[in-house]
Amino acid sequence: MKRLASALLLSTVLAGPALAAEPAEVVATYADIAEATYADSLATARALREAVGALIAQPSDDTLQAARAAWLAARVPYQQSEVFRFGNPVVDDWEGKVNAWPLDEGLIDYVAEGYGQNEENSLSTLNVIATPKFTLSGTEVDATVITPDLISGTLQEADGIEANVASGYHAIEFLLWGQDLNGTGPGAGNRPWTDYATGDACTGGNCDRRAAYLVAATDLLVSDLEYMTAQWAEGGAGRAAVTADPQAGLLAMLTGMGSLSYGEQAGERMKLGLMLNDPEDEHDCFSDNTHNSHYYDGLGIRNVYLGSYARVDGSTVSGPSLSDLVAAADPAVDAELKGKLDTSVAALTAIKTAAEGGFAYDQMLEAGNKDGEALIMGAVSALVDQTASIERAVGVLGLSKIDFEGSDSLDNPTAVFQ
Amino acid sequence: MRLPLVLAIGLGLAAPAAADVAQAVNGVILPGYQAFADRTADLAKAAAQDCRAEALQAPWQAAFDAWAGVSFLHLGPAEEDGRALAIAFWPDPKALGAKAQRGLLTGDPAKLAPEAFAEQSVAARGLMGLERLLYPAEPLPADPCALIRATADDLARMADEVRSGWQGGFAETVLGAGQPGNTTFLTEDEAKQALFTQLATGVEVLADQRLGRPMGTFDKPRPELAEARASGRSLRNVTLTLVALRGFAVALTPDIPRTLAGFDKAIALAEGLDDPVFAGVATPQGRLKVEILQQSLRALRETMLAEMAPALGVGIGFNSQDGD
Repeated sequence: MKRLASALLLSTVLAGPALAAEPAEVVATYADIAEATYADSLATARALREAVGALIAQPSDDTLQAARAAWLAARVPYQQSEVFRFGNPVVDDWEGKVNAWPLDEGLIDYVAEGYGQNEENSLSTLNVIATPKFTLSGTEVDATVITPDLISGTLQEADGIEANVASGYHAIEFLLWGQDLNGTGPGAGNRPWTDYATGDACTGGNCDRRAAYLVAATDLLVSDLEYMTAQWAEGGAGRAAVTADPQAGLLAMLTGMGSLSYGEQAGERMKLGLMLNDPEDEHDCFSDNTHNSHYYDGLGIRNVYLGSYARVDGSTVSGPSLSDLVAAADPAVDAELKGKLDTSVAALTAIKTAAEGGFAYDQMLEAGNKDGEALIMGAVSALVDQTASIERAVGVLGLSKIDFEGSDSLDNPTAVFQ
Repeated sequence: MRLPLVLAIGLGLAAPAAADVAQAVNGVILPGYQAFADRTADLAKAAAQDCRAEALQAPWQAAFDAWAGVSFLHLGPAEEDGRALAIAFWPDPKALGAKAQRGLLTGDPAKLAPEAFAEQSVAARGLMGLERLLYPAEPLPADPCALIRATADDLARMADEVRSGWQGGFAETVLGAGQPGNTTFLTEDEAKQALFTQLATGVEVLADQRLGRPMGTFDKPRPELAEARASGRSLRNVTLTLVALRGFAVALTPDIPRTLAGFDKAIALAEGLDDPVFAGVATPQGRLKVEILQQSLRALRETMLAEMAPALGVGIGFNSQDGD
C-alpha cells in the first residue's frame, strides 16, 4: 500500500505539484518511522539483554565479545531515533534515561587513577558496585540488591548532578568495555571478561554485583524502550501529538532536524569535543563507536526529511514526505536541502570510513591533529549549513517556530519552568 | 552614536528592514567587539608589565565587562575556530578547565608559545581560565606568571580576530543580505531572523543557565555552580548582558514598548538584587528573589516573540545552544 502510494506520488509530482502530499499523510509517515525506529531499538535491546544474560551465565571472552557486538547493533536504530527528540516533549523528557552523556563513570564502578575523577562531583568515585551501603545527600542508601528501581530512582542524576548517569546505553557501554585509558592514542576500553568471572577468577572485585548492575541496567533499558515504542503506536501520546494538528507535527519534524543538526550534534557533540581535545568527550567513549553514533544521527535526520527508514531487518518504512511538501511549495529549497543532507551524510561517512580504517574518533580529537580536525569540522560545517536550509523549509511551508512554542507552553505550562 | 540612531530612525520610515539591521550592526555589534578587543589588549599589555594577580584583576574585570556586551552573539567570526567557546568557557560540569590548566601550569613550557597555546583545550583558556589564575581558591601548584601572560595574549588575539572578522567581512555579509552572491543570507529577512534569534536566545540563556544552574532545584540549590563566582561577577554578568541585549533590541526594532518595559523590569530586578554571586539561592527567600528575576526573563522572552518578531516580520531560527 505504502509502496504503491509513493509510486503514484512520484508520477503526480512529475505531472504537476497540485496533487502533492498532504500534511496529514506526511506526519503519519513520520509517526510510522518513529514507531519502527523505536521498535527496532527495542528489539536490538532485547537481543542485548540475551547476550548480557549469556555473559553472566557463562563468563568468557566469547560471551563478552558477543555482548559488545549486541550493544553496537543496538546503537544503529537508536541513534537514528535521536531526530525525534527535539520538538517532541514526550521524547525529550524521557531520553536522558537512555542516552545521557557524558558521565562520571566512577559513580558506577572502579576507575583508574586520574581518569574520571571530577572535583565538582563528590559522587564521581562512589563506585556503587563496590559499595553496598552509602550516604547520598544525607540519606542512607541500601544498595545491597541492585535493581532497576535503585538505578532509575536513586542513582540517576544523584545529588542533582547531570554527570551522575547511572542508566542507559552509556552506563551499559562502560560495564562492557571499561574505561578507555589510551587517551588520544589507538585503542578502546579493555575490560577483561574476568570482571564477570565467579570465585577466585574475578578481577576488579565484586563481580557478582557488577553482573547484577549490568543485568538491571539492561532490563531498565528494555523497559524504557517499551514505553517509548508504545508512545508511537496507534493511540500513543507521541503519535497523537504530531497527527492531531499536522501543521504542529510538521514543525516538530523540522525542529527535531534543525536542533539535532546544529546545537546538539554540530555544537555540543562534535565541535565542543574537538575544541576540548578531550578523548573522554566523545559520545561513545568507552567503545570507540562514536563515528557510528554520529553517522546514524545524521542518517536519522535525512530519514525524516525523505520519509523513509531502512529497518534492521532490511525492509523499508516509507510514505509521503516532508521533501514532497517542500518541493510542491518551492522546488529550489527542496533541492538545496536534499543536497545538503546528502553532503552531511557524506561527511559523516568519511569519519566512519576513517575510523573503520583504524583512525579512531578519539585520535581525531588530539590537539594539533590536522587530519582529524578537518574530518570533524567538515561534518560540523555540513550540519550547520543544512540548518540554514531547514530554516528555509520552515519558511516555505508557512510555519513558525514561535507559534509552536506558544502552543507548547499553553498545553504544558510547566514546560517553561523546566 | 546619537547621529546614526537618528539617521536610522529617519531611514527606517522609508526602508525599515535595512535600517534596523544597519543600526544593530554599526551601532551595537561593531563598537561592542571593538571595545572587547581594546580591553583585552589592555589586559595583555598589563600582564606583560606585571603579572601579579592584584595588578591584573581590574583590567580583567574591564575585559569581562566588555565581553558581557557581546557575549550573546553566536554567529559569524565568534563561532569560527571555537573562539566564543574559548573566550568564556562556561559551564564546565566536568571541571575540564581546571584539569587542563593544571597540566599547562606544571607541564612543558613550549605549550605556552602562542601557536601551541591556541591549540590547547578551550576549557583551559580565555576569561574563565584567567579567573582561576587571578582568583585562585587555593595556592596554585606553580608560578602562574607565564601562563597568565600566554592566556591574556591568546585572549587578546581572539578578540582582535573577532573584531577584524566583523569589520573586514561579516558585517558586509549581514548588511548585504539578499544581494547577489550572498550565500549566507539569501534575503534580508534571513539576516533579521538570525539577529533576532541571538536576542531571544540571549535572554533564554540568562534564565536557564546563568540563573538556572545556581538555582538548581528547590531541594538542591547549587550556589557553587554560579558563573564567575570566584571573581564575584555572577550577577554583574547577568545585569550587563541584559543592558546590552536591551540596546541591541531597540537598535534592531525601535518601536517595541512592551519589550522595553520587560527589559526595564528585569534590569531593575537585577540591579535591586543584593546577591552578587547568587549565594542567596541556598535559602528559600534568597532563592525566591532569583526565581522572580528568572520568571521576568522568561516573560520578557515571550513578549519579544509576541511583539518583536511580528514587527520584524520574522520567526525564530535554530540556535547553537539548542543542545543539552
